[in-house]
Amino acid sequence: MSRADQQRLTQVRAAARGNRTDTSRGDALYPVYVAVIAAGAYGIPAAQQLFRSLDGRWLADEALTPAGLIVAVTLTVGLLALIRFVGRVHGPVVPPLPYVEMVVASPMPRKVTLGRQWRLSQGGSVFGGLLLGATTGAGLAIAGVASPALLLSTTVGGGLLGVLVAELWLLGQLQASSQVFKPGPRLPRGRRNALALLDITSLRRQAASNVTIGGAVLAGDLRTARLDAARPTTHARKARLKTGRPLVVIARRDLLGLRRAPGSTLYGLGFAAAGSAGLMLSLQSPHTPTVAPLLSLVLAYLGFGAWCEGLRLHADNSGTSRMLGLPYRDTAWAHLIVPVSAWVLTSVVVNAVLSLAGLAPGVAFLWNLGIAVLLAGSHLMASFRGIAPVGVFGPAGMPSMIFWYARPLLATLVVGTAMTAWAARIPVPWVAFSWLLLLAAGVVGWGLALVGKRDKRS
Amino acid sequence: MLGSRGDTAAAVSRTTGGLLRATGVGKKIDEAVLLLPTDVELAAAQCVVLRGPNGSGKTTLLRILAGTMPPSEGEVTLGGAPVDERQDSTRTAIAALIGAPATYRDLTLVDHLVLIDSTWGRVGERAEQRSDEILELLEIDHLAERFPHELSSGQQQLFHLAMVLVRPCSILILDEPEQRLDTDKRELLTEILLDRKDEGCALVVACHDPAMTEELADVIVDIQPA
Repeated sequence: MSRADQQRLTQVRAAARGNRTDTSRGDALYPVYVAVIAAGAYGIPAAQQLFRSLDGRWLADEALTPAGLIVAVTLTVGLLALIRFVGRVHGPVVPPLPYVEMVVASPMPRKVTLGRQWRLSQGGSVFGGLLLGATTGAGLAIAGVASPALLLSTTVGGGLLGVLVAELWLLGQLQASSQVFKPGPRLPRGRRNALALLDITSLRRQAASNVTIGGAVLAGDLRTARLDAARPTTHARKARLKTGRPLVVIARRDLLGLRRAPGSTLYGLGFAAAGSAGLMLSLQSPHTPTVAPLLSLVLAYLGFGAWCEGLRLHADNSGTSRMLGLPYRDTAWAHLIVPVSAWVLTSVVVNAVLSLAGLAPGVAFLWNLGIAVLLAGSHLMASFRGIAPVGVFGPAGMPSMIFWYARPLLATLVVGTAMTAWAARIPVPWVAFSWLLLLAAGVVGWGLALVGKRDKRS
Repeated sequence: MLGSRGDTAAAVSRTTGGLLRATGVGKKIDEAVLLLPTDVELAAAQCVVLRGPNGSGKTTLLRILAGTMPPSEGEVTLGGAPVDERQDSTRTAIAALIGAPATYRDLTLVDHLVLIDSTWGRVGERAEQRSDEILELLEIDHLAERFPHELSSGQQQLFHLAMVLVRPCSILILDEPEQRLDTDKRELLTEILLDRKDEGCALVVACHDPAMTEELADVIVDIQPA
């Protein structure tokens, strides 16, 4: 940055602040202070409890096997891919909208005007990585799973992960930007030129989206946040919806939607397959840690959810002029045909593979039929949850909001984990299966009650 | 059952000469008066145009007529029974475009029309061909494979009209359908609505366009602001 640029930027910032003193350094350091206290007060105790509950010896044994390393590498790669995707929607360099309009749009170099934003995000990411690594290391050491010497390695590893996360985050934003303009001879491609390559349109879009999403989250209108974050569809426009009977055509609509969103379809398949396998394997031994079905259910919930876009769009559409000739509730049922069928099919294939490998009997597949009912119910709840009730804006604030939002996932985890763990520990799993069906039917009933509520409101 | 909905709409049209009748309907929310008591009577193959300044309650009246909002006073009947959008018979008879309708962001224009047409149980009647015809009728057939977010505001309005015109009905309720349309398209829309009227469909249209009003209206209801 040249001295002239530095001077101009200082003047611009002073003008933007008005007569107030510069508190930017304090503003940046305050979250660091809060994060350190939170990590010490809650993070480390939670981490050591988690590692204790995982059964330290089992974890230590499994972590160093090829399967354990594959799981660790897969999770890391998955996380990094997710970070890059997030960058396309919301990158690390998103200044406030007025700053974009008045300063970034000026002739000053982007490297100068966007430099502080990038350094803040990069610093936050590296610091977050260091803190995560330190918390994990401390948790492992206190739980007696690993020696305290590991603390240094996990901290350094966390820091490196933070650097990688920041770079991939920026790469994601850069890729979203280069969809608008290709790099030219005066703006060569390359990491060194990354900030200069960010175009004003995508910066403005991300800044505006930041305002919309932020406002929607604060107002509890997570539907608006989701729709704003979603990328518009442009795939397979030549494919046409085929006519059919009313329920069939809704299912075909969902299949066409999945065809036009190959990313969601594939990640849904990956998560559903992993979750389905995890659940069937969890049933095979009474010694399986409870965390195994719990994590499997999280994956199953996410995978099944990726296939539920039609259901969510139907819920989003309540309150507008109705065009479809099916009753509201019947349409909601029809939107479950594709995700439930896809889950059952995935479970059949995964079960066949596990059976051939001698890891689970063929009958284990039946368990996932009960889970299908549970997932259908929880996704009805999730899609039709609507806008947060006024109560969550009370004194309890954010925890109430998180609890309200997470109710469908919590219902899945509580019912699914308890029943799966119970089934693995009793000689006659059919009793647990019957209870699973009964409780899953309760979750479906809860979901349908929310559908009915939205129907009446619209 | 679902396959007979189009026929039911025609049956409602045949059996109820005075199709839709609103008697002294008004709407108040607490102290705010949204609509002063108003009477509207609609027969088959008739068009009622609602006129009035912004905020006079035209959209409120249309919502009440469509059965999506209960009036605070007065009543609306459809073929003698109270109108209520939750009833199958109301939905079958009335097609309403009041505000932007719901669209699926992962479906193209033609897909939307096929979906709507199919859910009205008209599978055997070549929904795909009919969808293409509606797009052609509104002169947006070249946009058939676009997604809703790829349309201009005028094209969106034509697409929304296509969505409401593709489904069977005996009463068509439209809130300012001329919005964002150029002069040619307004004339085209007027012709389409006149054709619908000739086929026996009853229309209730809130409209600010004097030329369209003159062409379409059998009865004009001037809504007085509260």
